[in-house]
Amino acid sequence: MGGTLQKTRWYILGLLVLVLSTVPLWGTEYVLLFCLLFCLYLAFSQMWNLLTGYSGLLALGQQSFIGISGYTVAVMCNYYAVNAWLAVLLGGIISVLLALFMSLFIFRMRGVYFGIGTWIFAETLMLWFSNWEYTKYGVGLFIKPPTPPSMTELYYAAFIVGVGSVVLVYLILRSKLGLGLMAMRDDDAVSETMGVEVFRSKLYCFLVAAFVTGIAAGVIYHFQVFIQPYRAFAIDWTVKLVFIVIIGGIGTIEGPILGAFIYILLSQTLSEYISLSMLILGVIAIIVILTAPKGIMGSLQEKMGFEILSPRRR
Amino acid sequence: MEELAQPILNGILLGGLYAIVAIGMSTMFGIVKLVNLAHGDLMILASFLCLSFMTWLGVSPLLSLFVVVPIMYFVGFFVQGYLINRVLGKEMEPPLLVAFGISIILQNLLLLIFTPDARTLETSLAIKTIPIADFLNIPVIYLIDFLLGLGSISALYFFFQRTYMGRAIRAASDDETAAQLMGVNTRNIYAKAMGIAMMTAAMAGVLIGMTFTFYPHTGPQYLIIAFGVVVIGGLGSMKGALAGGLILAIAQLLGAHFFGPGFQLFCGYVVLLVVLALRPQGIFGTI
Repeated sequence: MGGTLQKTRWYILGLLVLVLSTVPLWGTEYVLLFCLLFCLYLAFSQMWNLLTGYSGLLALGQQSFIGISGYTVAVMCNYYAVNAWLAVLLGGIISVLLALFMSLFIFRMRGVYFGIGTWIFAETLMLWFSNWEYTKYGVGLFIKPPTPPSMTELYYAAFIVGVGSVVLVYLILRSKLGLGLMAMRDDDAVSETMGVEVFRSKLYCFLVAAFVTGIAAGVIYHFQVFIQPYRAFAIDWTVKLVFIVIIGGIGTIEGPILGAFIYILLSQTLSEYISLSMLILGVIAIIVILTAPKGIMGSLQEKMGFEILSPRRR
Repeated sequence: MEELAQPILNGILLGGLYAIVAIGMSTMFGIVKLVNLAHGDLMILASFLCLSFMTWLGVSPLLSLFVVVPIMYFVGFFVQGYLINRVLGKEMEPPLLVAFGISIILQNLLLLIFTPDARTLETSLAIKTIPIADFLNIPVIYLIDFLLGLGSISALYFFFQRTYMGRAIRAASDDETAAQLMGVNTRNIYAKAMGIAMMTAAMAGVLIGMTFTFYPHTGPQYLIIAFGVVVIGGLGSMKGALAGGLILAIAQLLGAHFFGPGFQLFCGYVVLLVVLALRPQGIFGTI
């Protein structure tokens, strides 16, 4: 690949980050909302991609971390008057602890069993929270931090989480851990004989994904202000992430960026018809799997050798 | 002890219903190694189809089975033949994700057509009970669920053991290449197998609709029940499905009895997670 293309990649990326970082200065309220949701869904889907696209862990229970972190934020802010951002951090930490606890059960399962196991965990949490007096049963909680964050503060938090998630995945994939992850995704047994610590690598990934998902969830719940078990622990979260990553391109870093953009565009345009936008998203996802299994970015990479962020060393 | 008799009896009867909910998914897992994440939603589709026939033609739900079951056969044939077969291969994820997509499309389609209201397939049977002791009653609808569930599973067992089609399906699943060499069109066989799995799902959907209320979003709940039954009982085994259904249903109803109705599903899931952690291959299964 030529040097000019190499440079162009960095110009594209730099421009994207520059545009995103200055939105509060020039954007309308709608654009700001759009970019905020884009950054947060980018973080969620980048983490799902790390688990499923790179580590071969089919995770259908990301809503466990979203819900538990959202509830941590709500409980900390409402009952203990904790600072809004400290509560977000605590949400991330609780997510990691939950992931550690979950790993005792679900790391004995493989493939689809792992997926459904994580999903059942989320459903169990949903039922627990909807029967728990402390969190006001299924009625839910309004999140009232001592000083509610402004929209600009929320946006920059989302921006840091979104861009941070991309950088984090890039760094992980360039590291020894990432190399091992991709080896074991392609062949579990062979990579283990070659010295990859399969269990530990998968666990690290699972914990990292739980942390970032938890942080992003804390920010999104500060934005939404209201949390309810049937929404917080709903499979709908993971459904969106699956579609975002599949459409954009599973196992590519750029895929979730494009996928998250398409999803936010669709859901915001049809915000009054949520079921219609999910319907369209489902149809697009099936068409993509049938015609271009590697997603839009994956197919582009294959045909044109066009990669913006490559985990490969050249 | 007397007060436990009722939940255990109900659990046994409900177990038969859970077995028929799960048998279609278990069959497809056994034959195509496909975890049909849309199984619950296809079942609820059958419930809504039945509801439509009831309102249009004024027939009873059990009579509408004669129309709903054949329709669901073709739905299954189409889903497998035109969508899932195209992505069958070495990897397990693409078929799974296609099924996931179908599940979301169905949920939202049903939501657009039927609104999110709670529905039920009303019959006079729903409230009848047969007293067998002064502390024990058999709810008639549960008894019907149990008997029809058991009947369908026996019919399916007979079909797979005794008929040419059933043997061809089993041959295609045992060794695809060999079956092809023997002149079996395996892709077509898979589509037919899915059609048959959907016939059981139609039966399950109508029974569920007669017994409980359902919404366009109820599908995933029954998918998890189906998965639970399959996990507890072991994959591809029909006796396992029956045993799994019984264990899950009894666990749920005892949980509701001891901790309150809010914990009915919760207890089922906990039992399921414990089984998954201790014996990932299921109680009766071998890997």
